[in-house]
Formats: sequence, C-alpha cells, structure tokens
Amino acid sequence: MGWDLLLVLTVPLAVSVVCWWAPVALGRALTLGSGLLTFVLAAVLVPAKTTTALSGWLRADALSVVFLVAVTFLYAVTAIFTIGYMQPAGDARTTATYSRRLLAGLNLFAWAMAMTPLVNGLALLWVAIEVTTVISALLVAIDDTDRATEAAWKYVLIASMGLGIALLGTIIMYYAGASVFGSAYELFYPKLLGAAGHFPPQVVRLSFVLAVLGYGTKMGLVPVHTWLPDAHSEAPTPVSALLSGALLAVSFYAILRFYEVTERAIGPEFPRNVLLAFGVASILLAALYLASQRDLKRLLAYSSVEHMGVLAIGMSISSPIAVVGVLLHVLAHAAAKGTAFFGAGSVVRKFGTKDMTRIRGGIGALPWTGPMLVLAVLALSGMPPFGVFRSEFLIVSGGLADPRGAVAAVLVVGVTLGMLGLSWFTTRTMLTPSPDHPPRGETSNWIVCSMVIGLVALAVLGVHPPGQLSDLLTRAADELGAKI
Amino acid sequence: MTLLGVVPSTFSGGAEALALVVLLTEFAMLRAPLSRSQIRLYAFQSLAVSSLAVFVAATQHIDDLYVLAGLSFVLKVVLVPGIVLRLLGDSPVDLAGSNRFGVATMVLFAIGISVFGFFVVGSLPVHSHSLPAPALGLAMAVILVAFLLVILRADVVSQAVGFFSLENGVSVASLVVAAGLPLIVEVAFLFDLLVAVVVFGVLMRVHHGRAKTLSTETLDRLRG
Amino acid sequence: MGDIQLASAQIQVLQVLTIVVFSPLVSGAIAHLEARWQGRRGPRILQPYYDLAKLFSKETLVPEDAGWVFVVGPMVAFMCYMVVPLLIPVLTTYPMPLGYMGDILGGAFILALAGFSVALAAAETGGPYAQLGSSRAMTFGALIEPSILFITFTVALLTTTDLPYFEAAAARASLSQVIRPAHLLVALAFFLVVLNDTGRIPVETHSSTLEFGMIDEARTLEHSGPLFALLRWGSAMKQMILYVLLVNVFVAPWGLAGSRAAGSVLLAIVILLGKAFGVGAIFTVIDNSFSKLRLFKITEFMAGAFLLAILAVLVLYLGGG
Repeated sequence: MGWDLLLVLTVPLAVSVVCWWAPVALGRALTLGSGLLTFVLAAVLVPAKTTTALSGWLRADALSVVFLVAVTFLYAVTAIFTIGYMQPAGDARTTATYSRRLLAGLNLFAWAMAMTPLVNGLALLWVAIEVTTVISALLVAIDDTDRATEAAWKYVLIASMGLGIALLGTIIMYYAGASVFGSAYELFYPKLLGAAGHFPPQVVRLSFVLAVLGYGTKMGLVPVHTWLPDAHSEAPTPVSALLSGALLAVSFYAILRFYEVTERAIGPEFPRNVLLAFGVASILLAALYLASQRDLKRLLAYSSVEHMGVLAIGMSISSPIAVVGVLLHVLAHAAAKGTAFFGAGSVVRKFGTKDMTRIRGGIGALPWTGPMLVLAVLALSGMPPFGVFRSEFLIVSGGLADPRGAVAAVLVVGVTLGMLGLSWFTTRTMLTPSPDHPPRGETSNWIVCSMVIGLVALAVLGVHPPGQLSDLLTRAADELGAKI
Repeated sequence: MTLLGVVPSTFSGGAEALALVVLLTEFAMLRAPLSRSQIRLYAFQSLAVSSLAVFVAATQHIDDLYVLAGLSFVLKVVLVPGIVLRLLGDSPVDLAGSNRFGVATMVLFAIGISVFGFFVVGSLPVHSHSLPAPALGLAMAVILVAFLLVILRADVVSQAVGFFSLENGVSVASLVVAAGLPLIVEVAFLFDLLVAVVVFGVLMRVHHGRAKTLSTETLDRLRG
Repeated sequence: MGDIQLASAQIQVLQVLTIVVFSPLVSGAIAHLEARWQGRRGPRILQPYYDLAKLFSKETLVPEDAGWVFVVGPMVAFMCYMVVPLLIPVLTTYPMPLGYMGDILGGAFILALAGFSVALAAAETGGPYAQLGSSRAMTFGALIEPSILFITFTVALLTTTDLPYFEAAAARASLSQVIRPAHLLVALAFFLVVLNDTGRIPVETHSSTLEFGMIDEARTLEHSGPLFALLRWGSAMKQMILYVLLVNVFVAPWGLAGSRAAGSVLLAIVILLGKAFGVGAIFTVIDNSFSKLRLFKITEFMAGAFLLAILAVLVLYLGGG
C-alpha cells in the first residue's frame, strides 16, 4: 500500500507545477482530476491497517487516515467549486495569470495539508505544518488588495510565531525522549509512544503546553485566534474553504499527536485540562463574536473558532464515545464549513458585498445555492440530520457520562449561542424577501454541484455513516487511548 | 551559600557568555532605530548562534553539528539578511522609528519578561551534556523578547526580524536540550525558515508597494 | 630599596595620597589625548595643576544669599573623596586595616554623599544653571542607583561578601572566574556606570560650555577661587577613584602589590597610573566616536546599564553563571 501514500503526495505536487505553466482550462481539469484521485486514494486507505512508505518516513495509521479523508474530500469539492469560481469573465480575478497562480497555489496547499497527517514523527509534522502556513499566506494575499495584504501579513506573522513556540515544544519533547533513547534518535510516533511511559513528566508537561499554544495558534483557539477571521474573510473563497475545513483540522491533528504521547507519559488528566481551558475560551468568545458580526465570511470564520473549541472540549472529555465524536466532527465540520463557504462565495459574487446588512433576498436571487447555504448553516449549527449533529451529540453524550458534567453543559450553551448568531444573520440575509435583489439565476453550475456533494456527504455522515468509516473512527479513538 | 561552590568551568562560562551575546543582541534589536541596523544585528546574532553550534560540536564531538553550523551560517548570516536588505533596497524610508513606548520602557518590559522566562525554565529539571542549563533560560528569554519585539514595534521589518530571531532562540534551546537532533530534521527546519523568509519578504514588499511605508500603523482595517 | 617594608598605616596613607596627587595628572593626560585625537595641540598634561594653583591663590567670592552650605559643601565632598580610597584596592591585593570599614555599598554611599553636598552647595546660590545641574545630577543619580545596587548584589553573590577586595581576588584566581558571564556582565555594567558618573559621552559632553546640555559641570558654575579648586580637584579624584574601581576590581585586577615591600608598592603606583591612562584612553575614544544623547534619551542608557546588571544577577541566580 506504500504506493498509495506516495501517489497522494506526488500527484497534487505535480499538478501544481503543471498548473503554473499550463493553460487555465487544462489546469482546472487537472486540479479536478487530482482532487478526485487523492480522495479515492484516501478512501482506499480507510479499511487498511497501518501503512508505511519511504522506509518509515511516511506512515498512515487510523488517526492519519481520518484527517487525510477530511483534507482530500475538501480538496476534491473545492476543485469543483473553483471551476465555477473562475468562470465569469470580465473580472480582474479571472485573468489568466491570476487563475494559474490560484490553481497552482491550491494544489500546493492541498499537497502540504495531505502531507501533514502522512509524515511520521513530530519534527517532520512541524515542517509540514510550517509549509502549509507559508503557502496559505501567499494564497491569502493573492487578491492583492489592501485588506488581503493586511490579513496575509497578520496571518503569516502570528502563525509563524505560534509555530516557533510549537517548534520549541517539539524540541523539548525530543529532550524528554532523549532520557530513554540517548541523545540521537528519530522522533517516530511508534517509538515515542512505546517509550512515553518513561519520559520525565515535568518536561512532557511543558512540551504539551507549548505545542497546544503553538499549534493552537494555527488551529484558531482563543486567545491565539486573532489572525483567523481576517485571513478567512479576505482570502479567495476556495482558499477560505480549505483554510477553515482542512488547515484548522490538520493543526488539531498535530495537537492530537502531542496528546497521544503526553497521555501515555503522564496520564490523560493534565492534557485534558489544558484542552478544556482553551476549548471553553474558544467556544464562548466565538459565540459572542458570532452574535455581532456583519461580514458574511467573518461570520463563518468565527464559527470555525467555535467548532475548534468543540473539538478541544471533546478531547477533554474522558469517555471514548466523545473521542469518536471528535473525529467524526473533524469530517463533518470539513464538509459543512466547505459547503457554507461555497454558498457564501456564491452570495458574495452575486451581491458584490460581504456586508450582511446589505444582502437581502438571497433565496430569491440564488434558487439553488441560497437554500443550500441555509441548509449548510443549519448543519453547522448542529441541526439534524446532518453530520455535525451526530458528532456533537456523541460528544455531549460522552460529556454527560463524564464526572465533570458541567463540561457538557458549557458545550451545549456555547453551541446554542453560536447557533443563534449564525442562523439569525444567515436566515435574515437569505430568507428576508427583497424586491430589488439582483436578477434570479446561479452564477455557475459547478458551484451548485460542489454544494450538493457537500450536503449529501453531510447527510450521509449524519444519517448513517458507512460501516468502514465508523470502524476507522473507532480504531483512531483507540489509538488516542480511548478504548471502547 | 551554595552558589560560591559552583564556579562554572571555563568551557561552560564561555558557552554561557556566547548565549548571553545572543540575548543582548535581541535587546539591541528591540531598541535599534533603523531597519537596516536591525537586520545587521540579526546577522550578528545568527553568527553567535552558529559559533555556539561549532562550540558544542567541538566539545561534544557531534560532527553533524558542524554541517548544521555551516548551513546556518550561510543561511542566516549571509543569505537571509542579504535577501531582506535587498528587498529593502529601494525603500526610501529607513527609519523604523515606530515605537509604541519609549526605549527605556520597552527595555524594562523586556527585562520583566526575561525574568519570567528565566524562572519558568529554572523550575525545570533540565540536565544537558552539551551546554550549561542556564543557557536554556537565556534561550527562553530570547524567545520572549522576540515576541515583545513583534508586539511593541509597529513596522514590518521589526516584526519579520522578530520572527527570525525567535527561530534563533529556538536554535539555542535546541543546542541545549537536543544537540543530537538528526541532521535531516535540522536541515528541514532551516529550509523551512528560508521559505518563510521568502514569504515574509514578498509580503513586506507588497505592503511597502501598497502603503508606501514600512510602518504597520495603517494595518488596522480588519476588526471585529 | 626592595627590602624596605612599609607599615600598613603607611600604605594606607599612600593609597589616599596616590589618588589626591595623581588625579589631576590623569585628568590632564586625558584632556591632552583627547585634543590630540581631535587634531588640536591641546593643553599641557600638567595643566590641571597650574589651574589648581591659580585658583587657590584667588579670593573666595560668596554670593550674598548663600549660606554656610555653599562653603562647606565642596569641603565635605573633598573629604569624602579622600575617604573612599581607604576602602578600595588601590595599590595592594591584601586589604588594608581600614579597608573593612565599608563595603562596595559603603563606598557608593560616600560617593553619593559627596555628590549630594556638591549639589546642595550649588543649589544654595539660587543660580538657575547651578540648580538645573543639581537637579539633573540628582535625577540621573537616582536612575543609575538600581544598576549600582544590582552590581553590588552580583558581587555579593559571586564572592559571598561585598568587599571589593574579594571580587578582585576572585577574578585573579582563575580564568574561569573572569570569563563567567556574571563577571563579564557586571564589569560591563560598571563600565556604563563609570561612564555616567564621570560625565562622559553619551551622557554628557564634559568639555562643553553649553549650559543647557550640562549636568555635573553646571553645578560648579557659581563657585570661584579655592572652593572652585576643591570642586575641580574633587571631580578629578572621583574620576580616578571610579577608574581604580573599574580596573582593580572588575576588569584588570593584576599588577597590584602583593607584599609590603616598598619597591612593589611603588611599582603598583606606576602600573596603576598606566592602567588609569589606559581607561582614560578608552573613554576618550568613546567620547570621540559617539554623540551625546538627548537629555530625555539618557534613560535609555540607564536602562542598558540596568539590563546588564540585572542579567548578571539572573544568570548567577539560576545555575552558577
């Protein structure tokens, strides 16, 4: 199966290079092909046991595959959306150079994010995440407006500083390992996990805190989330979707890898408390910001902060069912947030503004993407029958069984508050009838198509996840030390 | 009084003094009024870090570290400052005079935060073969002051240099606690830094081209 | 001559006399060197002695409103400067009988008392520039005080006492003592303190005649005749005392007399003068290569000195640095 991993890592990279030179039409086709292919390759890995390649430097266990599936799924639907996003002519955004850059960047970005869960070892993990940062920073700046430049600068600065801290955490974890392995060794996961019980606790603790702080910056945990709304709102929509659905998730993956080691070294109590603190702060602050947002894409960005809070809180709950819920939430959030951003992109294109006080009658103007945006937002707010409902339900039911029942209560309150802001604004912009909305009609069928796929996936996750997927989630939760 | 007993050996005294140079350079960057002098200070700091790597390589007989020291010399002393200075080449605004606080206040802040760093690390049971343990405290102080540099100075060069020197601080820390880190990983770190520098440089240029200034005072449009 | 043994009391007196007698020489040499570097011919090296002689032969003018403090101030200061050499290693590696009278802090207090009495005497006249100088001198004196305190702490931590003799002995003992970061930092911090206390650039242009930039110099503007001579002489002594502390305690505590033999003590005087000229030369270079800081930027300089001093304590406190 090693060829599978290699293929996942070479195809997007090669396509990216081709896109930089090739005509836009060819680039679009290749991007679509690459997206679909990598998703299929990821799906092939779902039932497989741990796969390794390149003499152990690449490794995909169940946990990796969960995140790989999330990334490649979003990559594939974003590829579909991007075709539609580039279609209307006569816009500065559709010049050939811009399109080629965007396509090349998207593929490269997806490549880096797919690489993150596949590399073996904490050090390479850091390298991969840093690569995602620099590529995505350029993608945020690609629109070349004042606001985009500002957002990109803040993003690259804050995220890089955060990753500096994460690097320190990695090095300190290395030091913890050195007490067992001697001064020179590779930071491979199985090796670390095997010996974690003998690591000095104090050092592991510091390392974990630094890692959460550092990778948490990329993941958008409060209080180190400040770059997130800016970057998400100013980036081109396909980039926003990937940032929110996939990039935040892989940053969470990095934290989970540290969690694994820490949990085996000093037990689950400490890492859970750390995650709980960040999670509660994120969910509550995001709920407040959601209630006072006017910018459509910023609204979705704060919703991402909220969902990252849900993930962190979910991990802080000790029951296995909550951990399964967390992993399902990663997948569901990727699908839901991607779809919502696609809808937002469609609305923004149609109305020419992101200001929600000036958008009215969305459903009238956009017969397909309008209602689907509403559905996606409802899915994000945790409405059945979508995947987010199932995952949050699992987390909360795990939390109710937890000795600290208050955690579940905080979670429910936070999610409800968040839902209030999210659905209030969206439904107002979409459902309020308005006589002078722009002429009825979709901007592109590709956009509709991407959203349909997203919603179908969400519904499948919510109603009845495929057996092999559930099996995968259970195995991944098992790896995280939550045995069912 | 136990302190009298532990006179450090000439070796560790010298190593610590080098680490101290790294920290003092960080303070100098905090107060340096000119963008270009900040970049030169960064080059000097990187030189100190590279020397420290050679020092550890020689005393611990870790040959990989020679390679690393050489690479980081080429990259951080020559290439990165060169690139950034080149990018700044045609910007007429040389003054980074963008302090939100007076220099003395900034230095006092930085002293405070360094003390914090020292004590955080001091409470850890760190035993290092390669460098004296207080060097880890110094590295932590470098990292924290680098944060201060990014926060307190409002111009793109200071902020970028803040990030680069943060990486220097982490390098010192890694020399203390992880001198045996595999070479391939270290090289990957350095390569990443180079990519990040290019991105920082591109964005700095874009910002300068748009705003006609290196100051970040205008970057306040995105709120809420 | 080599076998003539001096009594402790004699050496003690010799310490004070060395400072009293040779301090104008050091000042003259520095002024001469400075002029040379600036391309001027400059005053004679012995010029300060002629100046003092001239001033002592003049009458004393006391402003009408000034009280007794105006007269007593310079004398108190001069006496203070004569006491400090008793406490510090001027000529010998071994402590003198009166050397235990006070530690570094004690010496600093006596120096501060001297500065205070000069400031008081200057303020007594009511002259605007003299008062300006006094208030500035006291302000910056207060700002540099934390650095001096932390230097003292460091010395105390390094040697478990705060007697200057022991710090010098520690540095002489081994190379690792000299190269240890705490020692380097504290020496550097003290260097900055000396730079400030002797009124050199970047804090003050010591040879300027522009009253607005003056700090220490402005305090003597109202005095004349013998009182002015005492002030001038006192400030030369203060400068030399600080140089002695810098070289004999921190930077280069070598070349001091190790025995009571008259020959070695005399040799120590010669070496001391050489070292003082050396320090003076360094200060002259700094004088000629930097510009004076604006008055409100002097705090930056103080912050720098404080940074070095506090780092010295920190590296020492956390693991022996």
